[in-house]
Amino acid sequence: MSVLHVVFKVDGAEYALPASDVLQMETFTGATPVPGAPSHVAGLVQVRGRVIPVVDARVRFGLPPVQRSLDTRVVVGQLGNRTVGLLVDSAREVLKLDPAQVKPPPPLVVEGARGFVKAVAQVGPRLVMLIDFPRVIGEEAPDGDGQR
Amino acid sequence: MATDNGNGAVALEDARNLAESAARGVQETTSLVQAAEALATRLAASGNEQAAASEQVRSAMENVAAHVEETGLSVHELVRAQRTVSDTARGLQQEAEATAGALQEVNASVAGVRKDAAHLAASSDTTAATLEQATRSVKGVSANSEELAASSEELLASMTEMNATVADLVARNQSSAAATEQVAATAEEMAKGISRLATDSQAVGERVAQVSTTVVNIGRVLGEVARDATSMAASVEETASTSEELARSVRGVAEHARTLEASAASTASTVEEVAASVEEVAATAEKNAAVVDANAATIEQLARSAQSVAKAAESINTLAASSATASTQLETSTRRVAQMTEEARANAERVGTTARDGGATVTRSIAGFTRIRQSIVESSGVMKEMGKRAEEIGDIVQTINLIADRTNLLSLNASIEAARAGEHGRGFAVVAEEIRALADRAAAASADVAKIVRGLQTTAREAATATGEGVRAADESAALASDAERALSTILKGVEDLGQNVREVSRASGEQVQAVQALTQATAKVSEQGRVITTSAVEQAQAAQSLAQGGTEMRRMARQTTQATADQARALRDAVRSNGQLAEVAQKVSRAVQEQAAASAELAKASAQMRQLVQTVSGAVAAQSKEVAAVGTLSQESSTATQRTLLGLSEQAKAATEVTKAMEETRKQVAQSARGMAEQARALKQGEVASRQVAKLAAEVTRATDEQAQALTALVKGADEVRRVAKTTSRALDEQTEALAALATSASRQATGVASMARASGESTTVTEGLAKSVEEMRARAREVLTTTAQQTRTATTTAAEVREVAGRLAQLTRLQGEQAESLARLSVALGGARNPEAGAARAREKQA
Repeated sequence: MSVLHVVFKVDGAEYALPASDVLQMETFTGATPVPGAPSHVAGLVQVRGRVIPVVDARVRFGLPPVQRSLDTRVVVGQLGNRTVGLLVDSAREVLKLDPAQVKPPPPLVVEGARGFVKAVAQVGPRLVMLIDFPRVIGEEAPDGDGQR
Repeated sequence: MATDNGNGAVALEDARNLAESAARGVQETTSLVQAAEALATRLAASGNEQAAASEQVRSAMENVAAHVEETGLSVHELVRAQRTVSDTARGLQQEAEATAGALQEVNASVAGVRKDAAHLAASSDTTAATLEQATRSVKGVSANSEELAASSEELLASMTEMNATVADLVARNQSSAAATEQVAATAEEMAKGISRLATDSQAVGERVAQVSTTVVNIGRVLGEVARDATSMAASVEETASTSEELARSVRGVAEHARTLEASAASTASTVEEVAASVEEVAATAEKNAAVVDANAATIEQLARSAQSVAKAAESINTLAASSATASTQLETSTRRVAQMTEEARANAERVGTTARDGGATVTRSIAGFTRIRQSIVESSGVMKEMGKRAEEIGDIVQTINLIADRTNLLSLNASIEAARAGEHGRGFAVVAEEIRALADRAAAASADVAKIVRGLQTTAREAATATGEGVRAADESAALASDAERALSTILKGVEDLGQNVREVSRASGEQVQAVQALTQATAKVSEQGRVITTSAVEQAQAAQSLAQGGTEMRRMARQTTQATADQARALRDAVRSNGQLAEVAQKVSRAVQEQAAASAELAKASAQMRQLVQTVSGAVAAQSKEVAAVGTLSQESSTATQRTLLGLSEQAKAATEVTKAMEETRKQVAQSARGMAEQARALKQGEVASRQVAKLAAEVTRATDEQAQALTALVKGADEVRRVAKTTSRALDEQTEALAALATSASRQATGVASMARASGESTTVTEGLAKSVEEMRARAREVLTTTAQQTRTATTTAAEVREVAGRLAQLTRLQGEQAESLARLSVALGGARNPEAGAARAREKQA
């Protein structure tokens, strides 16, 4: 049974997240920085009347920062009770992935990605990496809960 | 007279008449005879007296004879002295002649020198002429040729001066010739006159001789009639006349002696004068020798300078030849230059045309550039407009893109919501998916549009940039084009200037070609003339060398002349000394002659006494032989005088002829000298003409242009030197001529002195000879007188006897005459005429006579 996934891009690479974990998609118009917050936290934004933290995927993935553009998206996810935004370069499609298509990542990649990539899906010629959303959001999850 | 006897057959009437006349004659004769008897008686008395007087005369005559002997001795001495004087004079004359010969030699040598000098002048002239020609030919060659011309003028002036001097000399010589001619003519006239006089005298002498012979005949006849009386009277008369003559001749001798003394003195002075003039001549000759030395040195210098001139001329010749080649090369190169100039002119004209065309093109280009700029500016505006529009399109596309993006977001969110709705949301999910697809397509399309617009904008921007660049380029091009136009106009002007310049250059080149051709010709001419100069200079050098040889010869001759003159002076000094001796002798002679004169005066006195005696004797005889004796004496005297006159006249004629001969010789010599001087004058005139030509040439030289040949400077300098040397030579020759003139004058003076001395000597010799002759005659006469006096004495004695006889006979005659007269009277009465008594009377008269 195929599951719908939201596909987003960070630094040219395509990542996927199950649509069930995603509340909604938002454009990014800037975040309010939070003093003392970890470096990968971009700041706070308002989404449909709620204030949620936004984690910068690029900083989390150890990538250099880029200029925010019209394509920059905030993927708002539901993690238990917490709602957290993930700031990505772009997110323009949804894919239905068959579990047969999803495979575990090679050990080398797992080790290098610090456990962020759960599996890799083959979509035609494309390779889409399924991320471990909670792990990507990290230990800050409780903070997010508190803020909700 | 007694021939009437043969006429007895004549008519009686005649006989009667004759007898009557005879009777008359006899009567007359008788009276005459009576008178004669008286006279005879008186004569007898006087004959006795005469005999006594004759004795006295004889003694006086013996005295006279002694005196005459003394006189003869003195005269002989005198003659001897005179001979020695004459010898000395002859020697002196010979020496004088030798001097004259030496002078003639000197003259000849001086003439040779003159000839050489004329040679030198001629060669100098030719050299000068050649130099002048050279100067004319290389006229433009050196500015120094003007100096040469000036030198030529100077030469001409000096030549003219020299000519004037020679002309003066010629004039003087001619005047002297004329004077000599006059003198000769006068001498000839004189000789002629003397000859005429001599002929006249001869005629007179002949007539006198005739008269004398006639008289002698008469005397002889008379001598037969009255031998004794006549011879006595004649002897006495002769004695008297001889005495008188002796006195006269002694006086003449004394006069001659005085004359001789005077002439000896004059001779001495003349000789001294001659000696002085010879000394002068010696001095002049020495001066002359010095001048000749200087002349020879000058000539040698001239020869040296002529050689250097020849060398310089040769170098000039080579230089002229090289310059001729150079000028030929120059001509070729000039021609080439002219050709190239012509080509350059054509090129310049072509360039001018091209530049003018280029100018027009550039003007057109500038106009095009302006238009291009304008259109570029226009298209730039269009491009900007287009860019603006493209930007607007870009904005629209951005909006579209934004809308598409939002649509995509919305569709994604719808899909998520649909997925969350599960089964109910399936249809919604499909719609959301389609919306997302549409949005994606719209986004893609808008992205394409945006890309296109971006490209369009880029293009527009690029176009704007390009347009700006194009405008700038067009501006730059226009500026460049105007620069080019300016440059082209400058070029055009430059080309025009160039064309003009090239034309001028072409013209100048043409002129240069002509000038170079002329130069080539002139150079060729110069080369040729330089060759001519070289030849003539070499000739001149040779001539100068020969001249130098002649100068050396002349120098030798002058030395010889000096020596000869010195010898002559020495000889003249000797002559003066001998002349002094002669004068002494003459004085002695004079003294002796004076003594003699005194003796002669005494003699004359005695003679006068004797004459008185003889006159008293003669007085008696004179009655008979008065007329005859007078006639005889007179004719004898006149004959003697005439003969003496004749002798003197012939001597005089001889002397005159000699004078004439000498004058003729002198005239001949003077004529020769005049001829020589005239030749010299002619030669000098030719020299002057040549000089004038030289001057003319020099003037032409001065008129011509100055162009080149520094090398000629050396030649000109050499020519100047030659001129200077020639001038010095001319000056030296002038001095020499003057010295020679002085020498000639003194020599002529000397000759005149010697001639006058010789003449005086000859005269004195003649006079002395005449004196000797007259003394000889006198001596003979004295002897004769002595003899005749003795005879006279004898005859006087006999005459006295005869006179006595005559007186006796006369008495007889008187008696016979008486008888005759008686018989005649008878005869006359008888015949009326008688003949024989007449004849007898005639015979008796004859006897009585």
